[in-house]
Amino acid sequence: MIKDELARLITDGYNALGELGFAESSTGYRLYHWADRNSLNQARIYRSPKDAREIAKYDSSGAYRPLKGVPNLPRGWVLELPNINDLKTALDFFYPGAVATWLAFREGKAQPVCLRQTLNRQTGMYRVTGKLTDDQAQSLVKEACRSDSRCLRTILWGIEADHPPDFLPASKSDPTVDQTGQSRTTLPFLCLEACNLLVAAARTTVKKSSR
Amino acid sequence: MVEKWESALVLVGHGSTLNPDSSAPTFQHADEIGRRELFAEVYCAFWKEEPSLREVLRMVESDDIYIVPNFISEGYFTETIIPRELELTGPVTRRSGKVIKYCEPVGNDPRMVDLLLRRAQDAAPNVPREKTSLLIVGHGTSLNQKSAEAAQQQVRVIREKRLYAEVTEAYMEEPPFIADWRKNTSQRHVVVVPFFIADGLHSYQDIPVLLGIESDRTAAASQQEIFRRNPYNMDGRELYYASAIGTEPLMADVILDTVARFDRRHLCDVAA
Repeated sequence: MIKDELARLITDGYNALGELGFAESSTGYRLYHWADRNSLNQARIYRSPKDAREIAKYDSSGAYRPLKGVPNLPRGWVLELPNINDLKTALDFFYPGAVATWLAFREGKAQPVCLRQTLNRQTGMYRVTGKLTDDQAQSLVKEACRSDSRCLRTILWGIEADHPPDFLPASKSDPTVDQTGQSRTTLPFLCLEACNLLVAAARTTVKKSSR
Repeated sequence: MVEKWESALVLVGHGSTLNPDSSAPTFQHADEIGRRELFAEVYCAFWKEEPSLREVLRMVESDDIYIVPNFISEGYFTETIIPRELELTGPVTRRSGKVIKYCEPVGNDPRMVDLLLRRAQDAAPNVPREKTSLLIVGHGTSLNQKSAEAAQQQVRVIREKRLYAEVTEAYMEEPPFIADWRKNTSQRHVVVVPFFIADGLHSYQDIPVLLGIESDRTAAASQQEIFRRNPYNMDGRELYYASAIGTEPLMADVILDTVARFDRRHLCDVAA
Protein backbone atom coordinates (compact mmCIF):
# COMPACT_ATOMS: atom_id res chain seq x y z
CA MET A 1 0.00 0.00 0.00
CA ILE A 2 1.07 3.58 -0.60
CA LYS A 3 1.20 4.40 3.11
CA ASP A 4 3.48 1.43 3.83
CA GLU A 5 5.83 2.44 1.03
CA LEU A 6 5.82 6.02 2.33
CA ALA A 7 6.79 4.74 5.79
CA ARG A 8 9.65 2.74 4.22
CA LEU A 9 10.87 5.79 2.28
CA ILE A 10 10.95 7.84 5.50
CA THR A 11 12.90 5.08 7.25
CA ASP A 12 15.30 5.15 4.30
CA GLY A 13 15.94 8.85 4.95
CA TYR A 14 13.54 10.76 2.72
CA ASN A 15 12.46 13.82 4.69
CA ALA A 16 11.17 16.38 2.18
CA LEU A 17 8.65 16.94 -0.60
CA GLY A 18 8.31 20.25 -2.37
CA GLU A 19 8.46 22.94 0.32
CA LEU A 20 7.60 20.43 3.04
CA GLY A 21 9.74 18.69 5.59
CA PHE A 22 8.63 15.65 7.59
CA ALA A 23 10.04 13.30 10.19
CA GLU A 24 9.06 10.60 12.65
CA SER A 25 8.32 11.97 16.10
CA SER A 26 7.76 10.48 19.55
CA THR A 27 3.99 10.56 18.90
CA GLY A 28 3.89 9.69 15.20
CA TYR A 29 4.92 12.01 12.39
CA ARG A 30 5.66 15.71 12.19
CA LEU A 31 5.03 17.73 9.01
CA TYR A 32 6.11 21.34 8.51
CA HIS A 33 7.37 23.96 6.08
CA TRP A 34 11.02 23.14 5.43
CA ALA A 35 12.04 26.75 6.05
CA ASP A 36 10.59 26.47 9.60
CA ARG A 37 12.56 23.32 10.50
CA ASN A 38 14.75 25.16 13.00
CA SER A 39 11.95 27.17 14.61
CA LEU A 40 9.15 24.64 15.06
CA ASN A 41 8.73 25.61 18.70
CA GLN A 42 7.32 28.91 17.45
CA ALA A 43 4.95 27.29 14.92
CA ARG A 44 1.22 26.90 15.44
CA ILE A 45 0.36 23.25 16.11
CA TYR A 46 -2.32 21.42 14.12
CA ARG A 47 -3.36 17.81 14.64
CA SER A 48 -5.78 16.88 11.84
CA PRO A 49 -4.66 16.02 8.32
CA LYS A 50 -7.62 18.07 7.06
CA ASP A 51 -5.92 21.17 8.50
CA ALA A 52 -3.41 20.68 5.67
CA ARG A 53 -6.13 21.43 3.14
CA GLU A 54 -6.84 24.82 4.73
CA ILE A 55 -3.15 25.68 5.24
CA ALA A 56 -2.47 24.92 1.55
CA LYS A 57 -5.43 26.96 0.31
CA TYR A 58 -4.02 30.49 0.64
CA ASP A 59 -0.53 32.01 0.53
CA SER A 60 0.84 34.26 3.25
CA SER A 61 -0.84 37.31 1.66
CA GLY A 62 -4.23 35.57 1.69
CA ALA A 63 -4.29 34.90 -2.06
CA TYR A 64 -5.89 31.67 -3.25
CA ARG A 65 -3.47 28.89 -4.32
CA PRO A 66 -5.23 26.84 -7.03
CA LEU A 67 -1.92 25.29 -8.11
CA LYS A 68 -0.32 23.53 -5.17
CA GLY A 69 3.13 23.24 -6.78
CA VAL A 70 3.73 26.99 -6.59
CA PRO A 71 6.55 27.68 -4.11
CA ASN A 72 4.51 30.02 -1.93
CA LEU A 73 3.25 27.73 0.81
CA PRO A 74 2.65 29.76 3.98
CA ARG A 75 4.96 29.21 6.97
CA GLY A 76 4.51 29.10 10.73
CA TRP A 77 2.62 25.83 11.27
CA VAL A 78 3.41 22.26 12.24
CA LEU A 79 1.18 19.22 11.86
CA GLU A 80 1.56 16.59 14.60
CA LEU A 81 0.04 13.43 13.14
CA PRO A 82 -0.44 10.14 14.99
CA ASN A 83 0.20 7.71 12.12
CA ILE A 84 1.48 7.20 8.60
CA ASN A 85 -2.03 7.17 7.14
CA ASP A 86 -2.66 10.71 8.41
CA LEU A 87 0.73 11.83 7.09
CA LYS A 88 -0.15 10.42 3.65
CA THR A 89 -3.53 12.19 3.75
CA ALA A 90 -1.92 15.49 4.73
CA LEU A 91 0.73 15.19 1.99
CA ASP A 92 -2.10 14.61 -0.49
CA PHE A 93 -3.71 17.89 0.58
CA PHE A 94 -0.46 19.81 0.18
CA TYR A 95 0.68 18.09 -3.03
CA PRO A 96 -2.26 16.05 -4.36
CA GLY A 97 -1.24 12.69 -5.73
CA ALA A 98 2.50 13.44 -5.58
CA VAL A 99 3.50 10.33 -3.63
CA ALA A 100 1.19 8.02 -5.60
CA THR A 101 2.45 9.44 -8.89
CA TRP A 102 6.08 8.93 -7.93
CA LEU A 103 5.44 5.33 -6.85
CA ALA A 104 3.40 4.56 -10.00
CA PHE A 105 6.12 6.04 -12.21
CA ARG A 106 8.85 4.14 -10.39
CA GLU A 107 6.95 0.88 -10.90
CA GLY A 108 6.36 1.61 -14.60
CA LYS A 109 2.59 1.97 -14.07
CA ALA A 110 2.40 5.62 -15.11
CA GLN A 111 4.02 7.25 -18.13
CA PRO A 112 4.44 10.88 -19.16
CA VAL A 113 1.92 12.22 -21.69
CA CYS A 114 3.35 14.68 -24.22
CA LEU A 115 1.92 18.19 -24.44
CA ARG A 116 0.69 17.69 -27.99
CA GLN A 117 -1.45 14.74 -26.92
CA THR A 118 -2.89 16.72 -24.00
CA LEU A 119 -3.74 19.72 -26.19
CA ASN A 120 -5.11 17.71 -29.10
CA ARG A 121 -7.71 15.96 -26.97
CA GLN A 122 -9.16 19.25 -25.66
CA THR A 123 -12.67 20.28 -26.66
CA GLY A 124 -14.90 23.30 -26.17
CA MET A 125 -13.08 26.49 -25.21
CA TYR A 126 -9.71 24.69 -25.07
CA ARG A 127 -9.89 23.06 -28.52
CA VAL A 128 -8.00 26.03 -29.93
CA THR A 129 -4.89 25.02 -27.93
CA GLY A 130 -4.18 22.45 -30.66
CA LYS A 131 -2.89 25.41 -32.68
CA LEU A 132 -0.09 26.19 -30.21
CA THR A 133 3.20 26.06 -32.16
CA ASP A 134 6.27 24.24 -30.86
CA ASP A 135 8.05 27.56 -30.31
CA GLN A 136 5.10 28.99 -28.40
CA ALA A 137 4.86 25.81 -26.35
CA GLN A 138 8.52 25.87 -25.39
CA SER A 139 8.42 29.55 -24.38
CA LEU A 140 5.22 29.03 -22.43
CA VAL A 141 6.43 26.00 -20.47
CA LYS A 142 9.81 27.60 -19.72
CA GLU A 143 8.06 30.56 -18.13
CA ALA A 144 4.83 29.10 -16.70
CA CYS A 145 6.46 26.10 -15.03
CA ARG A 146 9.76 27.55 -13.78
CA SER A 147 10.73 26.15 -10.40
CA ASP A 148 11.90 29.38 -8.79
CA SER A 149 8.45 30.96 -8.83
CA ARG A 150 5.77 29.01 -10.70
CA CYS A 151 5.81 25.25 -9.97
CA LEU A 152 8.11 22.85 -8.16
CA ARG A 153 7.17 19.78 -10.15
CA THR A 154 9.77 17.98 -12.25
CA ILE A 155 8.54 17.88 -15.86
CA LEU A 156 8.94 14.52 -17.59
CA TRP A 157 6.82 15.19 -20.70
CA GLY A 158 8.02 16.76 -23.93
CA ILE A 159 6.16 18.73 -26.54
CA GLU A 160 5.93 15.80 -28.97
CA ALA A 161 5.63 12.07 -28.26
CA ASP A 162 8.93 10.31 -27.52
CA HIS A 163 10.77 13.64 -27.25
CA PRO A 164 12.21 14.48 -23.82
CA PRO A 165 11.73 18.05 -22.56
CA ASP A 166 15.25 19.00 -23.69
CA PHE A 167 14.21 22.64 -24.19
CA LEU A 168 14.12 22.98 -20.40
CA PRO A 169 17.13 23.25 -18.10
CA ALA A 170 18.32 19.67 -17.48
CA SER A 171 17.60 20.06 -13.76
CA LYS A 172 13.88 20.73 -14.42
CA SER A 173 13.40 17.26 -15.89
CA ASP A 174 15.65 15.29 -13.54
CA PRO A 175 13.66 13.55 -10.75
CA THR A 176 16.77 13.33 -8.59
CA VAL A 177 17.16 17.11 -8.47
CA ASP A 178 15.57 19.02 -5.60
CA GLN A 179 13.60 21.76 -7.39
CA THR A 180 13.90 24.05 -4.36
CA GLY A 181 17.65 24.07 -4.99
CA GLN A 182 18.51 22.78 -1.51
CA SER A 183 19.86 19.29 -2.29
CA ARG A 184 17.62 17.60 0.29
CA THR A 185 16.72 13.90 0.31
CA THR A 186 13.43 14.72 -1.28
CA LEU A 187 10.65 12.58 -2.71
CA PRO A 188 10.42 13.32 -6.44
CA PHE A 189 7.53 15.65 -7.21
CA LEU A 190 6.70 14.65 -10.76
CA CYS A 191 4.64 16.24 -13.49
CA LEU A 192 3.59 13.51 -15.93
CA GLU A 193 1.19 15.65 -17.92
CA ALA A 194 0.47 19.34 -18.44
CA CYS A 195 -2.08 20.61 -15.91
CA ASN A 196 -5.27 22.50 -16.70
CA LEU A 197 -3.63 25.80 -15.78
CA LEU A 198 -1.03 25.29 -18.48
CA VAL A 199 -3.74 24.30 -20.98
CA ALA A 200 -5.60 27.51 -20.08
CA ALA A 201 -2.37 29.50 -20.52
CA ALA A 202 -1.88 27.82 -23.92
CA ARG A 203 -5.35 29.04 -24.90
CA THR A 204 -4.42 32.60 -23.92
CA THR A 205 -1.21 32.37 -25.97
CA VAL A 206 -3.02 31.11 -29.08
CA LYS A 207 -5.78 33.70 -28.74
CA LYS A 208 -3.26 36.54 -28.39
CA SER A 209 -1.21 35.41 -31.39
CA SER A 210 -4.29 35.13 -33.61
CA ARG A 211 -5.40 38.71 -32.96
CA MET B 1 -27.50 1.63 3.51
CA VAL B 2 -24.53 1.71 1.14
CA GLU B 3 -21.58 -0.18 2.66
CA LYS B 4 -18.62 -0.51 0.32
CA TRP B 5 -15.73 -1.44 2.55
CA GLU B 6 -13.67 -2.76 -0.35
CA SER B 7 -14.50 0.04 -2.79
CA ALA B 8 -13.26 3.55 -3.40
CA LEU B 9 -15.45 6.59 -3.95
CA VAL B 10 -14.16 9.41 -6.13
CA LEU B 11 -16.21 12.59 -6.08
CA VAL B 12 -15.58 14.75 -9.12
CA GLY B 13 -16.09 18.49 -8.89
CA HIS B 14 -15.46 21.33 -11.32
CA GLY B 15 -13.15 23.33 -9.06
CA SER B 16 -11.79 26.74 -9.96
CA THR B 17 -8.46 28.47 -10.42
CA LEU B 18 -10.09 31.76 -9.39
CA ASN B 19 -12.60 30.99 -6.65
CA PRO B 20 -11.54 29.19 -3.45
CA ASP B 21 -15.13 28.16 -2.61
CA SER B 22 -15.89 26.23 -5.78
CA SER B 23 -14.47 22.95 -4.45
CA ALA B 24 -15.88 23.39 -0.92
CA PRO B 25 -19.10 21.36 -1.39
CA THR B 26 -17.19 18.46 -2.92
CA PHE B 27 -14.72 18.36 -0.03
CA GLN B 28 -17.56 18.81 2.48
CA HIS B 29 -19.46 15.76 1.26
CA ALA B 30 -16.29 13.68 0.88
CA ASP B 31 -15.44 14.49 4.51
CA GLU B 32 -18.92 13.49 5.68
CA ILE B 33 -18.94 10.22 3.74
CA GLY B 34 -15.39 9.50 4.94
CA ARG B 35 -16.51 10.10 8.52
CA ARG B 36 -19.21 7.44 8.12
CA GLU B 37 -16.53 4.87 7.13
CA LEU B 38 -18.65 3.35 4.35
CA PHE B 39 -15.88 3.14 1.73
CA ALA B 40 -12.28 1.91 1.90
CA GLU B 41 -11.17 5.22 0.39
CA VAL B 42 -12.81 8.54 -0.49
CA TYR B 43 -11.11 11.02 -2.80
CA CYS B 44 -12.02 14.22 -4.58
CA ALA B 45 -10.82 15.15 -8.08
CA PHE B 46 -11.35 18.27 -10.14
CA TRP B 47 -11.25 19.68 -13.65
CA LYS B 48 -9.67 22.94 -12.51
CA GLU B 49 -7.94 21.98 -9.28
CA GLU B 50 -5.76 19.20 -7.91
CA PRO B 51 -5.80 16.28 -7.85
CA SER B 52 -6.81 16.40 -11.48
CA LEU B 53 -8.91 13.77 -13.18
CA ARG B 54 -5.68 12.55 -14.77
CA GLU B 55 -3.99 12.03 -11.39
CA VAL B 56 -6.65 10.76 -9.06
CA LEU B 57 -6.83 7.13 -10.12
CA ARG B 58 -3.15 6.74 -9.28
CA MET B 59 -4.07 7.61 -5.69
CA VAL B 60 -6.83 5.00 -5.49
CA GLU B 61 -5.74 1.57 -4.26
CA SER B 62 -9.07 -0.30 -4.30
CA ASP B 63 -9.91 -2.41 -7.34
CA ASP B 64 -13.57 -1.38 -7.27
CA ILE B 65 -14.08 2.34 -7.87
CA TYR B 66 -17.23 4.47 -7.99
CA ILE B 67 -16.95 7.82 -9.76
CA VAL B 68 -19.72 10.26 -8.78
CA PRO B 69 -19.84 13.63 -10.58
CA ASN B 70 -20.75 16.33 -8.08
CA PHE B 71 -22.42 18.19 -10.93
CA ILE B 72 -25.89 19.66 -11.09
CA SER B 73 -26.86 18.01 -14.37
CA GLU B 74 -25.91 15.77 -17.24
CA GLY B 75 -24.09 17.82 -19.83
CA TYR B 76 -20.75 18.70 -21.34
CA PHE B 77 -18.73 17.80 -18.26
CA THR B 78 -20.41 14.52 -17.44
CA GLU B 79 -20.65 13.37 -21.06
CA THR B 80 -17.41 14.68 -22.55
CA ILE B 81 -14.81 15.95 -20.07
CA ILE B 82 -14.99 13.42 -17.25
CA PRO B 83 -15.14 10.26 -19.44
CA ARG B 84 -12.35 11.59 -21.64
CA GLU B 85 -10.00 12.59 -18.82
CA LEU B 86 -10.59 9.37 -16.86
CA GLU B 87 -10.48 7.31 -20.08
CA LEU B 88 -13.83 5.70 -19.37
CA THR B 89 -15.49 3.47 -21.97
CA GLY B 90 -19.02 3.50 -20.53
CA PRO B 91 -20.83 3.06 -17.23
CA VAL B 92 -18.40 0.22 -16.41
CA THR B 93 -14.74 0.40 -17.44
CA ARG B 94 -12.31 -2.46 -16.75
CA ARG B 95 -8.65 -1.53 -16.77
CA SER B 96 -5.53 -3.03 -15.21
CA GLY B 97 -7.55 -5.28 -12.90
CA LYS B 98 -9.79 -2.45 -11.74
CA VAL B 99 -13.50 -1.93 -12.29
CA ILE B 100 -14.42 1.74 -12.64
CA LYS B 101 -18.11 2.52 -12.23
CA TYR B 102 -19.28 5.83 -13.63
CA CYS B 103 -22.40 7.05 -11.84
CA GLU B 104 -24.93 9.72 -12.76
CA PRO B 105 -24.37 13.31 -11.61
CA VAL B 106 -25.84 14.09 -8.20
CA GLY B 107 -28.19 16.61 -9.82
CA ASN B 108 -30.23 13.76 -11.32
CA ASP B 109 -31.55 12.93 -7.87
CA PRO B 110 -35.30 13.71 -7.58
CA ARG B 111 -34.70 15.57 -4.31
CA MET B 112 -33.12 18.50 -6.15
CA VAL B 113 -36.59 20.05 -6.49
CA ASP B 114 -37.05 20.04 -2.73
CA LEU B 115 -33.60 21.56 -2.23
CA LEU B 116 -34.34 24.36 -4.70
CA LEU B 117 -37.64 25.11 -2.95
CA ARG B 118 -35.94 25.06 0.45
CA ARG B 119 -33.33 27.56 -0.77
CA ALA B 120 -36.09 29.82 -2.16
CA GLN B 121 -37.93 29.65 1.15
CA ASP B 122 -34.76 30.37 3.17
CA ALA B 123 -33.87 33.38 1.00
CA ALA B 124 -37.33 34.95 1.09
CA PRO B 125 -39.32 33.44 3.99
CA ASN B 126 -41.90 36.19 4.18
CA VAL B 127 -42.81 36.99 0.59
CA PRO B 128 -46.35 36.18 -0.55
CA ARG B 129 -45.65 33.34 -2.97
CA GLU B 130 -48.82 34.03 -4.94
CA LYS B 131 -47.26 37.39 -5.86
CA THR B 132 -43.76 36.10 -6.48
CA SER B 133 -41.77 34.98 -9.51
CA LEU B 134 -39.38 32.11 -8.84
CA LEU B 135 -36.45 32.28 -11.24
CA ILE B 136 -34.19 29.21 -11.50
CA VAL B 137 -30.87 30.23 -13.05
CA GLY B 138 -28.53 27.72 -14.66
CA HIS B 139 -25.34 27.78 -16.69
CA GLY B 140 -26.61 26.69 -20.10
CA THR B 141 -24.11 26.10 -22.87
CA SER B 142 -24.10 25.68 -26.61
CA LEU B 143 -21.77 22.72 -26.10
CA ASN B 144 -24.50 20.49 -24.67
CA GLN B 145 -28.24 21.01 -24.42
CA LYS B 146 -28.69 18.80 -21.36
CA SER B 147 -27.50 21.48 -18.95
CA ALA B 148 -30.49 23.68 -19.80
CA GLU B 149 -32.88 20.73 -20.08
CA ALA B 150 -32.13 19.79 -16.48
CA ALA B 151 -33.05 23.27 -15.27
CA GLN B 152 -36.19 23.21 -17.43
CA GLN B 153 -37.19 19.92 -15.86
CA GLN B 154 -36.89 21.44 -12.36
CA VAL B 155 -38.97 24.42 -13.47
CA ARG B 156 -41.68 22.14 -14.89
CA VAL B 157 -41.95 20.14 -11.68
CA ILE B 158 -41.99 23.22 -9.44
CA ARG B 159 -44.53 24.94 -11.70
CA GLU B 160 -46.89 21.98 -11.35
CA LYS B 161 -46.83 22.41 -7.58
CA ARG B 162 -48.51 25.84 -8.04
CA LEU B 163 -46.66 27.34 -5.08
CA TYR B 164 -45.50 30.51 -6.85
CA ALA B 165 -47.35 32.88 -9.16
CA GLU B 166 -44.71 32.25 -11.77
CA VAL B 167 -41.80 29.83 -12.17
CA THR B 168 -39.32 30.36 -14.98
CA GLU B 169 -35.66 29.82 -15.90
CA ALA B 170 -32.72 31.83 -17.22
CA TYR B 171 -29.13 31.06 -18.18
CA MET B 172 -25.68 32.56 -18.31
CA GLU B 173 -24.77 31.42 -21.81
CA GLU B 174 -28.00 30.88 -23.70
CA PRO B 175 -31.43 32.53 -23.88
CA PRO B 176 -33.46 33.41 -21.92
CA PHE B 177 -30.54 35.30 -20.41
CA ILE B 178 -30.25 36.10 -16.71
CA ALA B 179 -29.59 39.76 -17.49
CA ASP B 180 -33.12 39.99 -18.96
CA TRP B 181 -34.83 38.96 -15.70
CA ARG B 182 -36.78 42.22 -15.48
CA LYS B 183 -38.72 41.62 -18.69
CA ASN B 184 -38.93 37.83 -18.25
CA THR B 185 -40.59 37.94 -14.83
CA SER B 186 -43.92 39.54 -14.08
CA GLN B 187 -44.27 39.71 -10.31
CA ARG B 188 -43.13 42.41 -7.88
CA HIS B 189 -41.21 39.89 -5.78
CA VAL B 190 -38.58 37.83 -7.58
CA VAL B 191 -36.73 35.00 -5.87
CA VAL B 192 -33.65 33.81 -7.76
CA VAL B 193 -32.21 30.38 -6.97
CA PRO B 194 -28.99 29.31 -8.70
CA PHE B 195 -29.13 25.78 -10.13
CA PHE B 196 -25.48 25.26 -9.24
CA ILE B 197 -23.53 23.05 -6.88
CA ALA B 198 -21.24 25.66 -5.37
CA ASP B 199 -21.38 29.31 -4.40
CA GLY B 200 -18.40 29.66 -6.67
CA LEU B 201 -17.34 31.87 -9.53
CA HIS B 202 -20.59 31.70 -11.51
CA SER B 203 -23.29 31.64 -8.86
CA TYR B 204 -21.60 33.96 -6.41
CA GLN B 205 -19.52 36.30 -8.52
CA ASP B 206 -20.91 36.30 -12.09
CA ILE B 207 -24.68 35.98 -11.67
CA PRO B 208 -25.07 38.89 -9.17
CA VAL B 209 -23.49 41.11 -11.83
CA LEU B 210 -25.88 39.75 -14.50
CA LEU B 211 -28.82 40.38 -12.16
CA GLY B 212 -27.60 43.92 -11.53
CA ILE B 213 -27.28 43.53 -7.75
CA GLU B 214 -23.52 44.02 -8.04
CA SER B 215 -21.80 46.31 -10.54
CA ASP B 216 -18.59 44.33 -10.58
CA ARG B 217 -17.40 40.87 -9.65
CA THR B 218 -17.14 40.82 -5.84
CA ALA B 219 -14.85 38.82 -3.58
CA ALA B 220 -15.48 35.11 -3.12
CA ALA B 221 -18.32 33.96 -0.86
CA SER B 222 -15.96 32.98 1.95
CA GLN B 223 -14.62 36.53 1.98
CA GLN B 224 -17.88 38.49 2.08
CA GLU B 225 -21.61 37.97 2.49
CA ILE B 226 -24.03 38.70 -0.28
CA PHE B 227 -27.08 36.72 0.82
CA ARG B 228 -27.67 38.70 3.99
CA ARG B 229 -28.39 41.83 1.99
CA ASN B 230 -31.69 40.47 0.61
CA PRO B 231 -33.94 41.95 -0.63
CA TYR B 232 -32.47 44.10 -3.39
CA ASN B 233 -34.89 46.86 -4.37
CA MET B 234 -34.53 47.55 -8.07
CA ASP B 235 -36.86 49.36 -10.49
CA GLY B 236 -39.83 48.93 -8.15
CA ARG B 237 -39.14 45.19 -7.81
CA GLU B 238 -37.91 43.26 -4.79
CA LEU B 239 -35.25 40.71 -5.69
CA TYR B 240 -34.02 37.93 -3.38
CA TYR B 241 -30.92 35.92 -4.25
CA ALA B 242 -30.46 32.45 -2.73
CA SER B 243 -27.31 30.40 -2.22
CA ALA B 244 -26.48 27.33 -4.33
CA ILE B 245 -27.92 23.97 -3.31
CA GLY B 246 -24.73 21.91 -3.31
CA THR B 247 -23.71 22.73 0.26
CA GLU B 248 -26.88 21.16 1.71
CA PRO B 249 -25.82 18.42 4.17
CA LEU B 250 -28.41 16.18 2.52
CA MET B 251 -26.12 16.00 -0.52
CA ALA B 252 -23.93 13.37 1.18
CA ASP B 253 -26.97 11.08 1.25
CA VAL B 254 -27.75 12.00 -2.35
CA ILE B 255 -24.23 10.86 -3.30
CA LEU B 256 -24.69 7.54 -1.49
CA ASP B 257 -28.07 7.05 -3.18
CA THR B 258 -26.41 7.76 -6.54
CA VAL B 259 -24.01 4.86 -5.85
CA ALA B 260 -26.89 2.59 -4.82
CA ARG B 261 -28.81 3.54 -7.97
CA PHE B 262 -25.78 2.68 -10.10
CA ASP B 263 -25.64 -0.78 -8.54
CA ARG B 264 -29.31 -1.40 -9.21
CA ARG B 265 -29.11 -0.26 -12.83
CA HIS B 266 -25.81 -1.83 -13.80
CA LEU B 267 -25.82 -5.10 -11.87
CA CYS B 268 -25.63 -7.09 -15.12
CA ASP B 269 -22.85 -4.91 -16.63
CA VAL B 270 -20.69 -5.37 -13.55
CA ALA B 271 -21.31 -9.12 -13.36
CA ALA B 272 -20.50 -9.59 -17.07
